[in-house]
Amino acid sequence: MSTPRTALVRLVAGREISVKLRDKGFLASTAVFIAIIVLAVVVPVMLEGDTPEYTVAATGHAGAVAEVAVELGGAEVPGLPAADITVIGLEDPTAGAGGDPVDEAFLRGADAVLSSDPDGTVVITAQENVPGDLEELIAAASSAVTAQDVAVEAGLSADQLAALTSPPQPRIDLLDPKPSLPVPPELVIVIFGFLFYFTVLTFGASIAQSVVEEKTSRVVEILVAAVPVRWLLAGKVLGNAAMALGQVVLIVGAGLVGAQAIGEGDIVAQVLGVSGWFLAFFVLGFLMLACLWAVAGSLASRIEELQSTTLYMQLAVMTPFFSAILIRDEGPARVALSYFPLTAPLMMPARVATGDAAAWEPWVAMVIVSATAVLLIGVGARLYSGSVLNTSTRTRLGGAWAAGGRA
Amino acid sequence: MTDATLAVQGLTHDFGQRRALDDVSFEVRPGRLTGFVGANGAGKTTTMRAIVGVLRPDAGTVTFGGASMTLEVRRRIGYMPEERGLYPKMKVAEQLVYLARVLGVTKDDAQARAASLLEGLDLAERRDDLLHTLSLGNQQRVQVAAALIHEPDLLILDEPFSGLDPIAMDAMAERLRDRAAAGVPVLFSSHQLDLVERLCDDLVVIHHGRVVAAGDARALREQRAGRRYRVDVGGTDAWMPALAGMTVVGSGPEGTLVDLDESADPQALLAAAQAAGPVEHFARTVPSLAELFAEVVR
Repeated sequence: MSTPRTALVRLVAGREISVKLRDKGFLASTAVFIAIIVLAVVVPVMLEGDTPEYTVAATGHAGAVAEVAVELGGAEVPGLPAADITVIGLEDPTAGAGGDPVDEAFLRGADAVLSSDPDGTVVITAQENVPGDLEELIAAASSAVTAQDVAVEAGLSADQLAALTSPPQPRIDLLDPKPSLPVPPELVIVIFGFLFYFTVLTFGASIAQSVVEEKTSRVVEILVAAVPVRWLLAGKVLGNAAMALGQVVLIVGAGLVGAQAIGEGDIVAQVLGVSGWFLAFFVLGFLMLACLWAVAGSLASRIEELQSTTLYMQLAVMTPFFSAILIRDEGPARVALSYFPLTAPLMMPARVATGDAAAWEPWVAMVIVSATAVLLIGVGARLYSGSVLNTSTRTRLGGAWAAGGRA
Repeated sequence: MTDATLAVQGLTHDFGQRRALDDVSFEVRPGRLTGFVGANGAGKTTTMRAIVGVLRPDAGTVTFGGASMTLEVRRRIGYMPEERGLYPKMKVAEQLVYLARVLGVTKDDAQARAASLLEGLDLAERRDDLLHTLSLGNQQRVQVAAALIHEPDLLILDEPFSGLDPIAMDAMAERLRDRAAAGVPVLFSSHQLDLVERLCDDLVVIHHGRVVAAGDARALREQRAGRRYRVDVGGTDAWMPALAGMTVVGSGPEGTLVDLDESADPQALLAAAQAAGPVEHFARTVPSLAELFAEVVR
């Protein structure tokens, strides 16, 4: 009988996955994450999304101002807010049922009533306050109307008038243009950085915990008698890696679907463009660190000891996260960190996202991280075999290394 | 497999300065229950761990049916570690199926076997309970099931009877007998010497890492029996024969114990006893396992 190695690894991985899928804490945190991402994408757009609608009653000279305000509100003029303004006439007091025409206008739903002083100043009458957007538009309309009146009096031609009311904007010439992005790349980096940090930390801890659990419950003794230790390690790491990647894809995917649904397709395009590198580095970085988490777990003999054996692992995860977030300016430090194996999984895709990395750079970093992962997986497997059967005391690194060599 | 004998040859292992196993050699024969007895720390668990490959001994070999213990061979062992080991938060049946599949049983077979084992161990209605919700005795039964789930060719059981009530103990003994009858060599350790005495065909006694006695249990006891006879003569409480070459070593309501030297004839003792009254008991005494154990580890 030959031992079906891949089937065994798959079985071990399958158990890890089914345990995770039944872990209420894991399910809850995933749901919360998805909800947060979707809300973060959808809510700001919903808040700013709708063009405000206003109803304005105008009389006399102010009627012209109101008409211009309507135009300005609908024209999306740079520097001016957009608004959907409806103008209603201010009724003649003699024609109505009596009473004040201004009160009458408010009863009919007007947000403001425009009138003009004898000297031509536009007066905005409102009940409690004038909406900021509306006030801005009316102010702009008023000065435009005034400028036009003055120009007509001065006998300026239409072209001259146009030059006066809308002077030509300066043209911008960029020598080294950055692509204009709907989402600031820094934000993308923080989001992916946080996802990486969170995922490696939670799944790393869960790998370590699963190892200790097998040690404390002594199942490992039955398993080790029948399955090579390395295969156990491989199954554990792969099972958790699959879950981790699945969770990240789900969270990012939920965010993208949300963005697509509210019509922010350009966000989707931008994030999809860089997420390839983030995900590729994510997988490698996760595999690289996951084995070490398993080792950290196998060095402990009880759950309580995990805190101390995983301390360095927590540092190994926090360092890349904070460096990716804090070191934003391109420079020698950032370049160096984008090649250093521990920080590369975040730094290199970050540099790609900000457009600072040449096309070949992520490939080189990828090779470096892969090589490190292979090395660390080997080291981790040896330490794991040397320590996983020691169920009585905390294992020292040196002892585990020596014992792993014999196993 | 023609000869499914487990042979342990010259196992030696040190834990730091302490020698845990010192040239341990014995055989576990197919179709026989072999009891493994020794004081705490004598080396039973270390020996068993070396057999199943969980511990790599400093020296010595283990073979099964003449073949060395490769992974393929080890996967055919049913092993019950001293400290029980199953996933506390996994359902009972699911756990057995998982272990069976890890040991190469197909999914359908694994499910069928788990069901029938649980049925046989009276745990059928607990199949979907988490292991840690079961009583310790029941967890122990699940552990037994875990060792048997892949219908192993060899059983190595470390203290399988500890923690079982008398009924469960009988059921367990029955199960081991079954497996042995099917031709499986069974090695189990125990502190309960009366149980081992009642159950075992063969015996291995280990003391301070050395095998001090090994072989057929009955023969071992006969060997140590010497020429001591117990004679019970009805109607007399303290019959004290005075014959050449015989020494009375004790007497009581059970009769009189007499040691015979090389020249003395047991028949002469019997004749003397019959002359003294009706003989209710006359036999050579064979030491109990407890006596044997006390003697060999002295």
